[in-house]
Parts: sequence; C-alpha cells; structure tokens
Amino acid sequence: MTLIHQVEALLLASDQPLTLQKLRELLDDTASSDLREALITLEAHYKDRGIRIVQVAGGWQFQTAEEYRDTVSNLWQTRPAKLSRSMLETLAIIAYRQPTTRAEIEALRGMKVSSSILGGLQERGWVKVLGRKEVPGRPHLYGTGKTFLSDFGLNSLRELPDSSQLMDEDEVIQSVEAQLAENGQHPEPENNHHNVEQSQTDTFKSSKENHAESKEITRDA
Amino acid sequence: MQPLAEDQAQEEAVESVATEPVATEPVVMEPASMIENTEATSELQTSMPDLPPVQLEAFEGPLDILLHLIRKQKMEIFDIPMATITAQYLEIIKANQIQDLDVAGDYLVMASTLMQLKSRMLLPRPEIDDEGNPIDPREELVAQLIAYEQYRVLAEELDTRPRRGRDVFQRSIFPEAQQVERPLAEPDLDGLLLAFRNVLKRVGGEVRHQVFMETMSVREQMQMVMEGIRGGSMQLDELLANQPGREALVTTILAILELWRQKLITVIQNDCYESITLLAKEEIEE
Repeated sequence: MTLIHQVEALLLASDQPLTLQKLRELLDDTASSDLREALITLEAHYKDRGIRIVQVAGGWQFQTAEEYRDTVSNLWQTRPAKLSRSMLETLAIIAYRQPTTRAEIEALRGMKVSSSILGGLQERGWVKVLGRKEVPGRPHLYGTGKTFLSDFGLNSLRELPDSSQLMDEDEVIQSVEAQLAENGQHPEPENNHHNVEQSQTDTFKSSKENHAESKEITRDA
Repeated sequence: MQPLAEDQAQEEAVESVATEPVATEPVVMEPASMIENTEATSELQTSMPDLPPVQLEAFEGPLDILLHLIRKQKMEIFDIPMATITAQYLEIIKANQIQDLDVAGDYLVMASTLMQLKSRMLLPRPEIDDEGNPIDPREELVAQLIAYEQYRVLAEELDTRPRRGRDVFQRSIFPEAQQVERPLAEPDLDGLLLAFRNVLKRVGGEVRHQVFMETMSVREQMQMVMEGIRGGSMQLDELLANQPGREALVTTILAILELWRQKLITVIQNDCYESITLLAKEEIEE
C-alpha cells in the first residue's frame, strides 16, 4: 500500500475535488509535502490517458481529457446550451472587476444588463452577491462563486486568462489621451497608424493587486 | 482638429441628420424617422459599400456595433472618422426597427452621442482643457470602446476554456448517494436567496390579498341602472360614462350582470365592437 495509490483511490471515489487539507484528514495527517509529491506523480501518470488529475478551485479531482469531449458527450441526449455573448461578457466583467455593481457592468457594456442574465449566472453558481456597496441606493456587489472556478477549470482567480494585461479606466483614458495628442500633432494620420493591440501592450499594467483585494472579499463572504 | 476629407464629403449628409431632434423626440418605436431626407439616405448607402446587411440581434449593444464597424473597415480607433461612422451607425439602426423600448433607448443614446461628437468636431476652434491643450471630443468614446473591447476579448477567451459539463466531465453521480448519510452543505445567503427564488417561481410570484370595505353596493347600482333605463333602453357606454372611478365602474357592471341574470333587463349587441344596448324587461315583452 503506497501513499500514491491511496490518494489515487480517494480521488476516484470522491465526487468532489479533494483539497490538500481534506486529503490530510483522510490520510492520518500525512505531511503536505508527501501528498504534494504523490499528486505530482499521479498527474504525470495520467498525463496521456483518457482521464486526467487536475487541480480546480483548490482541490484535486479526476476528469475526462478535453480531447474526448465529443465521445463523452455521446453519453447524454442533450448538450449544454451555448452561452450567449451577453452572458459571457457580463460574466467576464464580473470575474475581472469583482466586486462590481450592475451600474458598472452597464457602463462598460454600454447596454442594460437584464435581470435574466444576472439571474442565469447566479443560478449556475458562477456569480454571487458579495454584499452591498455603501453608496446611495446600496447596490448589490457581484463577484464570482466557487462554481465559476471549478466549471472553468481555474484554480484561483489569478489564473484568469490575461488578467495581468487588463487596463483599468484611468489607464485606458491615459493611453487614449496620449494617442489622440500624438495624432493631433501629426496632421497625416496615415503615417501614424497604430494597432490598438500594439498600443495596449505598451501601456498594460499588472492588475494583480486588484485581484488580491477581490480574493479577500470573496473569502469574507 | 481638422476634419478629414472624407468627413467633409459626408458633412452635408450627416448635418441634415444631425439637425433632427432625435434625442428629444419621443418617437422611439421608429428609428427610421431619424433619416428622412432621401438625399442623405442615398449618400449613406454608398458610404458602406463592403458591409453586408447587419442584424442587430448579432450585436451586444451600441459599442459592439461601433467596434464591428471600426475593425471591419480597419479604421484607426484613435482617429475615428466621425461622419462615416455616424452615418453607418444610423443606417444600421434604421434598417433594424427595434421594438424593445429599453434596447432602443441604449442605441438611440449612442446615436445622439455620435451626432453630438460630430458637431463638436466641426467647431472652427478646438476645445481647450485647463492646461491649454486641445481636447479631442472623441476621447471619452474611444476610451469606452477600448475598455469594452478588452472585456469582449476576455469573454471570448473565457468561452474557449475547457468547461466542465461541456468539454471536460467528472463523475457527477455518486452511486450510493441515496443510501449514504451525507452532511448538508454549509448554508449561505446566496443559497438561501436562490432557494427562495425557486419557491417564488413555483408559486408563481406574488400572491397578496387586500380586503376593502365595500363602499358601493351592487344593490344601489342595480337601482341606479333600472332608473336609468326607466322601462325603456339605454346605451352601455352612456351609462358607464357617468360613473366616477374604477370601483363605480366595476360595481355598475356587476349590477348589470345581476339584473341580466334576474331577467329584469337584457343586453343586446348587434355585431362585434358595436354599441351595447340595455333593454328593460317590459321592452322585450312588447
């Protein structure tokens, strides 16, 4: 009986991700370092198989490999509904800007956010109300729930794609001001064509601090 | 800032549009009324030669449309040709009659913003900020577009991530779930709210009864109706016209129904939507 095999058996039998803490409880307080080593060995072992061991939302679990999506989907009659763009955009704004209010989402999208969109995201457990903002009207503050992390295969909010490249409002305004001023000085804008992507990378700044803050709030809630 | 040559070519067309009081006009249901000048319309159509007809449903709001137009035509986002883009935007709004007032509002606000920007761009002297630097009126819009585009890209990236239940699957059913004693999940406010919302959905929303004292009696109204008819006949709308308020109307109708049920009067309507006549019983027998 090896630790690796014990961990493997536990992961298969559990229908929920097992955190390091939970594994320690189940395995007579085995040292975390030993568990980590066992998990790394298992991850490597399943690397080229139909199932993988992955870490999502802070816990480890078995899941089918992405390549076999279509095959596995044949098990069920219905496929999950495609998410609408409005839902995805609202989710993205909440995920990257949390805690955020409905008014902020609407300002960013230049469009009203219908209650059915927010309700749909809440029903999926992706979005939850973290509290209220202490401004007139005390609007709800929205953030992502744990299901968001596990459904999107994220271990923490830090793993959100490209979160380090996101500009906040001030940075956007600054870069726009700079660009417009530059264009104004050169009467021939043809010589001056920049790709936005290009200029964005120039001015992108890390927003890791923002995420640290939002993490804390999630924990409080 | 000098308007571009193409802006000037479009100037006339857009100005004729811009002078129409769109923002204040209450006619939201017909965005087409924004562009009535046929001359302007024909010019607008030539302004978008390569763009296929656009379906509004494919877009997530005004910013999305503007980004589509800018990117599709490879326009410089930091030097948007306002006349062209305004004309194209209005063309799309015109082609898609928006029925939903909430949605139409968002699109029309952007239409008026674009036209306002266009007219500010035409000012002979540029606006100047506190430090004496010229202000580009488009600044705010460009910042909004770039901020939105970031999230639009992120939303797409989020969607391409392997998603549980769509791309990757876990053992979701615990075989002995029915027999095994399992602790309840930690309750939280969100769970409670969701549960409550589900109950509300099942119950069918708000059910509330308010009981009022009856201030008018059906009996009195029956008397009133009989006096009104006076053994002859009377039009229903004539009778109802004298009733003050909703309660009186309802009571009167109840009174008429009651009289009809007791065969003291009869009610006649010759055809759909025609006037309704109340006849006293004596009249019928004659």
